Amino acid sequence: MNNSDKPIANPIVVLREEFDDWAVLFNPDTADAVGTNPVGVAVWKRMDGRRSLGDIVSEIKASFTDTPDAAFEEIASFVNTLAEKGFVGLEADRKAANA
Amino acid sequence: MPEELKNSMAPAASRVMRSPRDLDLEITARCNLRCRYCYFFNNPAVEYRDLPAGEWLKFFDELGSLGVMKLTLAGGEPFIREDLRELIEGIVRNRMRFSFLSNGVLIDDEIAAFIADTGRCEYVQVSVDGSCAEVHDSCRGPGSFEGAVRGIRTLQRHRISATVRATIHRNNMHDLENIARFLLDELGLPRFGTNSAGYLGACCVNADDLLLNIAERQEAMATLLRLAEKYPNRISASAGPLSEGRAWRRMEEARAHDQPAFHNGGRLTACGCPSSKISVRADGTIVPCNMLNHIALGRINQDSLADVWHNSPALKQLRNRHAIPLAGFAFCADCPYMPYCTGSCPGLAYSIVGQVDHPSPDACLRRFLEEGGTIP
Repeated sequence: MNNSDKPIANPIVVLREEFDDWAVLFNPDTADAVGTNPVGVAVWKRMDGRRSLGDIVSEIKASFTDTPDAAFEEIASFVNTLAEKGFVGLEADRKAANA
Repeated sequence: MPEELKNSMAPAASRVMRSPRDLDLEITARCNLRCRYCYFFNNPAVEYRDLPAGEWLKFFDELGSLGVMKLTLAGGEPFIREDLRELIEGIVRNRMRFSFLSNGVLIDDEIAAFIADTGRCEYVQVSVDGSCAEVHDSCRGPGSFEGAVRGIRTLQRHRISATVRATIHRNNMHDLENIARFLLDELGLPRFGTNSAGYLGACCVNADDLLLNIAERQEAMATLLRLAEKYPNRISASAGPLSEGRAWRRMEEARAHDQPAFHNGGRLTACGCPSSKISVRADGTIVPCNMLNHIALGRINQDSLADVWHNSPALKQLRNRHAIPLAGFAFCADCPYMPYCTGSCPGLAYSIVGQVDHPSPDACLRRFLEEGGTIP
């Protein structure tokens, strides 16, 4: 996942907020679920195919205090994990699919 | 995610989720069978009528907006609904998964193909209580065994996960070995579950004929424990003789060695359901659980489920049941198993003693032993 990639959340995936901002991402087609914390929820809500990963990281850094130096790597890793599970695609994928 | 954030914001275990994860829905009050120990029928608190599909579909939209993950469709017999496809489409549209509790008789290729195509069905649980028609039909009626087996084979043909629950009672307790062989070897099921007929619903009027006495219970327990060893990890139980046999062995060992209290032991902690799930009766009444059908919390499409979930006094009382010590009950006085006991199912307690906040006498190890039982 590169800084300029524009991740887009799979619309079939349910964001189920359980305790405060803690949440489960649930794919009803596969029954796969991923638990996530408030930062993950904030990332998920921003994956609209318009914001790049760099944009999302910048917004997260502005929204949360004490974000670690490795925030980009950690968020990229999180998004990659979601992509591997089919929870997230890239805007480029959609363009390619439509071509 | 950043570990610092992950670790600093862990939710407290006792907090209530924003919405239930799962719901048990009795989508119909109708059934094609009249099983002699059915918990559903013969409940004076229940209004036996069906809601039109539109009511359920509207409710599914609400569940979808709350992020509910899974529905278990039961009844009555859920496959009796002529508009079942419409209901399933509503569930799928709202990004949920579903399961069924069924007697299997009405499952045909057409509905099985439809269910398989959705890709959202977790399992269909079919009740099978005997290895042959003579045993199974003794409580469920003529033709029900053949229909159940046909239903399971139909599900298997369509690659839908078919599971079985065997309810143990006086008429089938000598057939347990055959039941296990039939389900696991002949039908090729990966596993099956067991429970036992309890003093609920229709069983209350047939209790003398059906409920196991102490000696029968002990024998069923021993047989099931032996079968569970013979078929490792393929026979499960959350209630009934197998579950009791396993739990009571642990309790007796703990008592004999004066071990510390079990986690949640000594209080009415057995029921964790109100923390993650809730139920709806066929008439649309929201209840805590199918076993507590008399506790009306609200009505679907009239009351907000989120509001009921967070603010219902009755639900709060059930959730606080874990704070009630067993030591406060005369029934439990001087019981050596108290530190290892959780009081068992509140639904069964209510049915037997008329109180939800009471340990269930049916699951009492001390009483079982005092009445002549021994732990296998």
